[in-house]
Amino acid sequence: MRQFADWLAGTSASQFIQENLWVVPTIQTVHILAVAMVMGSVLMLELRILGVAARSQTLGQTARRYTPWIWAALSVLLATGGVMIVGEPVRELMNVVFWSKMGLVVLAALATLAFQRVVLRAATDADPSPGARRGLSFAALLTLLVWFAIIILGRWIAYAQTEY
Amino acid sequence: MDLSQLWPALEALPVAAYMRESALGFPAVESIHVVALVLVVGSIAVVDLRLLNLTSPNVLISEIVRDTLKWTWIAFAVAVVSGFLMFAAKATEYVVNTPFRLKLICLALAGLNMLVFELITARRMADWDSGPTPMAVRVAGGLSLVFWIAVVAFGRWIGFAEPAY
Repeated sequence: MRQFADWLAGTSASQFIQENLWVVPTIQTVHILAVAMVMGSVLMLELRILGVAARSQTLGQTARRYTPWIWAALSVLLATGGVMIVGEPVRELMNVVFWSKMGLVVLAALATLAFQRVVLRAATDADPSPGARRGLSFAALLTLLVWFAIIILGRWIAYAQTEY
Repeated sequence: MDLSQLWPALEALPVAAYMRESALGFPAVESIHVVALVLVVGSIAVVDLRLLNLTSPNVLISEIVRDTLKWTWIAFAVAVVSGFLMFAAKATEYVVNTPFRLKLICLALAGLNMLVFELITARRMADWDSGPTPMAVRVAGGLSLVFWIAVVAFGRWIGFAEPAY
């Protein structure tokens, strides 16, 4: 991994990012806005599951409305994240906090996928039963908490320069 | 009104000293700030995209506004408190930091835009809750997005800006 990171740091793309100081903050801003897009969507979904928002819409309609935004935002996050890795390969790839964050991102993506299949595969657009609602609510809340952890770990990358 | 005495006074607060001296304090508060701000921007974007008539045209604007903004305010309160704690730690440096000042200006503009919408534009909401959206409403949504994106951008630049001497 160290060899790969060092090689990456030597590429012209990496050099460009390192020499042009506006690149990283600009990319980080887009990254943060994409996180906001995810959080807004997950929040609206949880509020609908709990029945405190968008009551004129079915859960299926709400899920169809917001899940595409989650996937679009995830693509932007991966793209901007990729640029940041190319710009500072050793700082990211040799960092245990970074890899923990990546693990949680995979978890969040899997949770979103599972949620999508459960809700969008429902035969009718009727509201879920109380038991199903509790399960979905718990899953949505857990996803929200995973995203909180992802955000916190993202910030901590800067503070934990542990090479190994 | 002489504000120049206020900034060192804030830095002298015990909580400001804690923020400076504790290894965990500043990063923890900063993390809370980021979580709060992405919830603010994310929820505001849901409302703004609806005001711009770009999303959910079949859902009443009043319903989205009523359901969403209360969460925006809760997240905003957390962002303000955490932001204030960070500010107090190094108040004298932040007040001369250009991105920080621009961020506050954009926050004020976003707030003003919201106020105009609440007090003037939204009073006739029943007229345009469904159906074609008036220009004033779409402008409010568009300006809000621009101001909040600017807040995020300037916020990120605070750490990268050279302090003014």
